[in-house]
Amino acid sequence: MRHGSSLILVTDPAYSRHDTGGGEHPEIPERLQVIRDAFDHSPFAQSIHILLPRPASRAELLSFHDEAWLFRFEEAVLSGRTYVDHPDNQVCYESYSIATLSAGAGLSGIDRIEQDAGQDIIFCLTRPPGHHAEANHPLGFCFFNNCVIAARYWQNRYGRNRVAVLDFDAHHGNGIQSALESEPDTCYISIHEHPSFSYPGTGWEEERGLGAGKGTVLNLPLPPGAGEEQVRRLLPKIRSFFEEMQPEALIIGAGFDAHVEDEMSGLAFSTPLYTELGRFIFELGRDFCSNRVLSILEGGYHLPRLGESAAAYIAGLLKDD
Amino acid sequence: MFIHYHMTPTPTTMHPEQTVAEAIELLACFPFRHIPLVDDEGVLQGIVSDRDLRSAKPSSVAQSSQRAMVESKVMQTRLSQIMSTNCRTLSAMATVDDALFLFEANAIGALPILDDERRLIGIFTIGDLLKAYKTMFGVGERGAAMISIVDDGDPRIMSKLIGIMEEKNVHCTRLLRKSATRRTKAMIYLRVNTYNTRAVQKAIEAAGYEIHVPYSAV
Ligand SMILES: [Zn+2]
Repeated sequence: MRHGSSLILVTDPAYSRHDTGGGEHPEIPERLQVIRDAFDHSPFAQSIHILLPRPASRAELLSFHDEAWLFRFEEAVLSGRTYVDHPDNQVCYESYSIATLSAGAGLSGIDRIEQDAGQDIIFCLTRPPGHHAEANHPLGFCFFNNCVIAARYWQNRYGRNRVAVLDFDAHHGNGIQSALESEPDTCYISIHEHPSFSYPGTGWEEERGLGAGKGTVLNLPLPPGAGEEQVRRLLPKIRSFFEEMQPEALIIGAGFDAHVEDEMSGLAFSTPLYTELGRFIFELGRDFCSNRVLSILEGGYHLPRLGESAAAYIAGLLKDD
Repeated sequence: MFIHYHMTPTPTTMHPEQTVAEAIELLACFPFRHIPLVDDEGVLQGIVSDRDLRSAKPSSVAQSSQRAMVESKVMQTRLSQIMSTNCRTLSAMATVDDALFLFEANAIGALPILDDERRLIGIFTIGDLLKAYKTMFGVGERGAAMISIVDDGDPRIMSKLIGIMEEKNVHCTRLLRKSATRRTKAMIYLRVNTYNTRAVQKAIEAAGYEIHVPYSAV
């Protein structure tokens, strides 16, 4: 393990109170608990520090979302609705404020990175997830786009305009792409199951960005069944994309539902593959972004494998040469 | 399915007496590649494409001394002299499928759409055809996923699948049955609007059907 690096877990007990109604809903509070348990039983257990997040302010939420969506979301939960727009997007009375706290995790994490000059590993252990959320509506269990709000904060608060978002969740982060695809400074790289088969049906390889943002989107769809071999082939492509884009800060959409045992996707990632991804991401951060790397949890629904995969990913980030 | 809903209505037109130079200028300013030519009453006379205009210009191997002269002559040429007059057309009540067959059988990229008096009311391009089928099949629709089910020949499989979707409260937007070919099994494609595709798959499997996984061992 790299000397002197701590794992800063940005997390809050309130996250477990975002109630998705039981039944067959896979985005449940236990997701965070299994990750905590796996971390506590890992070789890096002794270097974990907890950082309590602050909620994202209204202005910070509005750096991506529409005011109308904020009103609609808040009104929906306060009036006791059980879902917003689609039964996938289950909510409870507290979900709005918990979602602002989920979006805030990235911001607290960025403050920490900027203070300690990228010395530590920052992992936002948070829910609800964010990468499907659009400016004006929720999608796929996501309400506020945590990665996009963090990217905007990095730009606005610290002037780091060249932010890259790399998303290895099994599903395409449609909301991140919508937010960033038209601008030249930011970029979005997504590894996901091919949209012909998989939710949310976006993330086509042909989409490379729009207008001034042409060339800033790198969609890397994988066929069902793809695993280590296919992922390894993508890594040099991602690296040369970084060489082209020269980002100064890196946000990771860290979803673990591509695991072979996670039934929410047809992808077949192994647990050790997440260590490889962690190592690869550490190197990207070191070589391009002065270690300014922020990881935010997205999906991952197979409870035992979720904890194990997240721990494997952190082990990769912390790995010594 | 009616072409009326998928065509570009009131497209930009020119008069056959206008010149090649004017047509080249028009195409340079807009993203389309075909110009329908109509008379003063709006009746279709012909169509010119960017290809027709390119091949009207002198080839680059022409002697440079003559080239300028030939070129200026071409630029003054009336579109009536280079337009395709026997172009294929469709009526507004034709279907997207009609257009598909026409595109397949003819090397053309656009179909003028005419009313009963042969007045131009729209244009339908291959791009419009792709868009029409894309919409029809829901390709790229945000928030959807596709599930393939092996068609076991059960005569009631379609209604059973829909029943499962209703019972599970899953929003389903497309249900398509396709017979076997030499290379593929008979298959049913179901486009569902939910993240939780696994729950849908499980319900279908519980009803005794086989989910087709589009790989064996990658
Ligand atoms: Zn996911």
